[in-house]
Amino acid sequence: MKNVVHLLILVLFVFCLGACDPESAITPSGKTIKVGIIGPFSGPVFSYGEEGVKGIRIAIQLQPYLQDGSRIELVEADNQNDPAMTVKLLEKLVEKDNVAAVITFSSSKPVLAMAKVADEYQTPILAALATHPDITKHNEFVTQLVFDDDTQGIVAALFVRDDLLIDTVAVFNNPDSAYSSHLAAEFERKFKSIGGEITDTISITEETADLSNIVKRVHVRSPELLYLPIKVKDVLRVIREVRKLDWEPKIMGADGLISTMLSQHEEDLDLVDGMLATDIMAHGMPLTPIGERARKLFRNQYEETRTVYAALGAEAYMILFDAMNRCSDPADRYCINRQIRSTTNFTGIIGNMTIGPNGKTQRPLCITSIEGGRSKFIFKVY
Amino acid sequence: MTEYVTSALFVYTDETNHLVDPLQNNSLGTPITSVAFDALMQAPQQQLEGAGHVVVAGPIDVLKEILRLAVQYRFSIGIIPTKKQKHLIKFYDLPKNPSAAVELALRRDGQAIDLITCNGEIMLFKAAIGRIPFLDTPAKASRVRVLVNALKKFVRFKLHTFKFKTAGKKEIETAASGCMLLQHSRGSFAARLIAHDHSFTDGMISLVISAPISIMEYVTLLRQALRSSKRFKQLPSSIGYIKSPQIDIESENRLAVIIDDKRTTHTPLHCKAIANAVHVNVGNNLRTESISAKDAKERIDIENLPREKELVKAKKQKRIPFFSYASEERFYDLFPALREDARIGSIYIVLMVLSTMLAAVGLYLNSASVIIGAMLLAPLMAPIVSLSMGILRGNIELFKSSIGKIILGIFIALFSSALITSLFPHKPVTEEMLARLNPTLLDLAVAIISGIAAACSKSFKEIIQSLAGVAIAVALVPPLAVAGIGIGRLDFYFFYQAFLLFSTNLVGIIISATFTFRVLGFSAVVRSKRSLVIVFAFLVLIAIPLYLSYSRIVEDRIFEQSLRRERFLVNQKYIIIVKASIIWRGDNRIILMDVLAREPLTRKDLNAFKKKIQANFNKKLIIRLNTYYIP
Repeated sequence: MKNVVHLLILVLFVFCLGACDPESAITPSGKTIKVGIIGPFSGPVFSYGEEGVKGIRIAIQLQPYLQDGSRIELVEADNQNDPAMTVKLLEKLVEKDNVAAVITFSSSKPVLAMAKVADEYQTPILAALATHPDITKHNEFVTQLVFDDDTQGIVAALFVRDDLLIDTVAVFNNPDSAYSSHLAAEFERKFKSIGGEITDTISITEETADLSNIVKRVHVRSPELLYLPIKVKDVLRVIREVRKLDWEPKIMGADGLISTMLSQHEEDLDLVDGMLATDIMAHGMPLTPIGERARKLFRNQYEETRTVYAALGAEAYMILFDAMNRCSDPADRYCINRQIRSTTNFTGIIGNMTIGPNGKTQRPLCITSIEGGRSKFIFKVY
Repeated sequence: MTEYVTSALFVYTDETNHLVDPLQNNSLGTPITSVAFDALMQAPQQQLEGAGHVVVAGPIDVLKEILRLAVQYRFSIGIIPTKKQKHLIKFYDLPKNPSAAVELALRRDGQAIDLITCNGEIMLFKAAIGRIPFLDTPAKASRVRVLVNALKKFVRFKLHTFKFKTAGKKEIETAASGCMLLQHSRGSFAARLIAHDHSFTDGMISLVISAPISIMEYVTLLRQALRSSKRFKQLPSSIGYIKSPQIDIESENRLAVIIDDKRTTHTPLHCKAIANAVHVNVGNNLRTESISAKDAKERIDIENLPREKELVKAKKQKRIPFFSYASEERFYDLFPALREDARIGSIYIVLMVLSTMLAAVGLYLNSASVIIGAMLLAPLMAPIVSLSMGILRGNIELFKSSIGKIILGIFIALFSSALITSLFPHKPVTEEMLARLNPTLLDLAVAIISGIAAACSKSFKEIIQSLAGVAIAVALVPPLAVAGIGIGRLDFYFFYQAFLLFSTNLVGIIISATFTFRVLGFSAVVRSKRSLVIVFAFLVLIAIPLYLSYSRIVEDRIFEQSLRRERFLVNQKYIIIVKASIIWRGDNRIILMDVLAREPLTRKDLNAFKKKIQANFNKKLIIRLNTYYIP
């Protein structure tokens, strides 16, 4: 009897080992599949690429081998967020390095450039950060993993109008940035359509010199909120001018703003305290079980989670990994692309995601703020 | 007018020979003959025959020897203490100033005092046996010192069995950590305990016995020692006291006896007091405290000491347990009352019917005040307290009768409220009813706190029992009435949800009251393992469905909370969730939501909204929306 009990315990133990760690059952085949990473690893927005790749490396530790035992090898390429360079790097990765797919951490403009030639290279491209709605238009191979600016602009306008109950807003945009112009326009359109008033629409670039007078002019009409979907440096310039006037309007930015502030402008965090933004995630928001595991690993290796870029990098890898596993040949670009675009209820870092055949991802976004030097979760919008 | 002796013999040692000259040249002109102690002991008869008064200055052992000689040769004694002999100064109220000490030592009016001997050794101040926490701590010691002393003594703390026999032939068998014999009441915590009843002229020996039967008792004793700076009006809960002209002490194991801070002998110990054995010149303060040996009576105060079954348990234990325990005899007035509370009487039935009928009407009226009135009538506390005590003490008889009374009460309540419901032509579901269909963890908190209050009210007479009864009724009567309404409506969901809340609260109250009784020291000395197993099995059976429903409740509450921090964008329409609560109808989970929206929500929007919820939360839900439009 005793022996039977011991045998049962042993069987249960073995079963548990197998059940608890399914990855351990995969035997490495020694085969590698190359995946290209295009992103800025230098230049003003170097943190996009740097942090994004950190996230991918964490995801690789969680899921090291595909079902067939292949290992994914990353081929990194620094595009400095330049559109022309991006296209050249895409060509090199596809034709020379023979990558099965590309993950990019570039902003909208370089990805729009890639989108134009994506069908030519017949290689799935996962845009982890770019939010411009047009990156998925007119091509079959670019998949947008974040919400697009149409959604972001609408949510921002609705949040300001219905949650904050604000009537008047001044909008700033950067005419040199497709992302900024589109987002600002979408916000304006929606805000007006629900009865809000846009007191001013201001276009500013790095070259705009007379910012002090511009802000004074905006102040005359006393908008309750300033919407700033512009570069972080310009956001800081505007806020400095606002503070000079002893004026305390609510200020709202867009995705990536808080992450860039935290990683590149730590010294100016006091200046933006209380600022709102739409974003992918925020400190303190609930994560999925895989998200928790990833965060723990990240903290162990990089001390602290500073940006959402890492989370998006990890999610991009996990979606690609899932699509590859659903293909009989995990290096088959067509199959990978098809499977990516039929991802349903995939559990990412902060929640579920569904990718449509048009390459758009349905996923929640959140409203965050900067408080006490870190991002604070306010709402999640599904 | 103070009178002085006409001559005296001064006995000194090497340490006190400097006093020879000052004493011989004393200002009173009394002739003094000086003799060294060693020389005296070589021929005591020659030196002491005819000596009426002896002045002594030297260590305690020398003093004890002079006292022994004083009994034999009938002379009086004056003491000149050295500066280091602080204890001696305190105990005999002697002056610190040498010339004043000489003046007192040469007086004629010596006080007759008792002499106590233990196994033939003179005990001047005190004798200690075993571990005696705090008892030997100086009365004026700082709190930190008391605390440190208590912790030191706690190491390897256990109870020993002792047998005490008095001059009146009373034999007391008990368990104690240790005991302390005292000559008179000055200087220690033990002396403070018995200061009202103690003197060194009463011909009695005082014995203070320390018997903290648990860590809780030990802590209580420590708290009393730290808090009280004055004399005690009554003995602390773990202290016993015996006063007799003669005390014999036997212990199960041989224990060392420390007399006047010196390890001198061991148990068995025979101590006797020789009344008015010697005359000693003591300070004025001591003279006023003296009690005549004729007035003193033997006293035995052992109510707080372990006895009978408690003694058996103490013998078996290597260390004292954390919680206290007690035999039924110790609470002789409590247990008959508990048994009475567990009996079913007509008043209980009548009050149960009235309270639940009133509660049912109050629930239909949606009137909190009527429901409160029903709670005031409810007689549920008494059987619940009896049941808790029955569980704690493994008293099957008490357990059976009290649970029978509770079950009868439940049936009466269900029947009464079902009857009221069937008589009502309209059966609206009011908010007060709905509140009892979706129990929250706070309801359980109410139950647990009420259980503690009930146990405390039974233990401390200062707490008005009816107040604790109302607290219990808050947790029990309304859900029970709602469950009865469910039966009347033939709605199983109604019944199940409300009865689940009632059961949860009932078990919560019983467990918390049981635990409170345990903390308060009502555990049985020897518990029946069989009864405990039955009770435990009963609790486990109830706990399984409760645990299952509890986890569902927790999951639902977390979901409700999270929804309040979510927004939904549905077909470009922004939906703000203001309030969300989940209720169950059979297996269907229904989410009731109050939402804010700017634009009218169509059926298409609502379907998309539902899909989004189901896609993101993996929950099968029926959604009921109250939509408020933003102007």
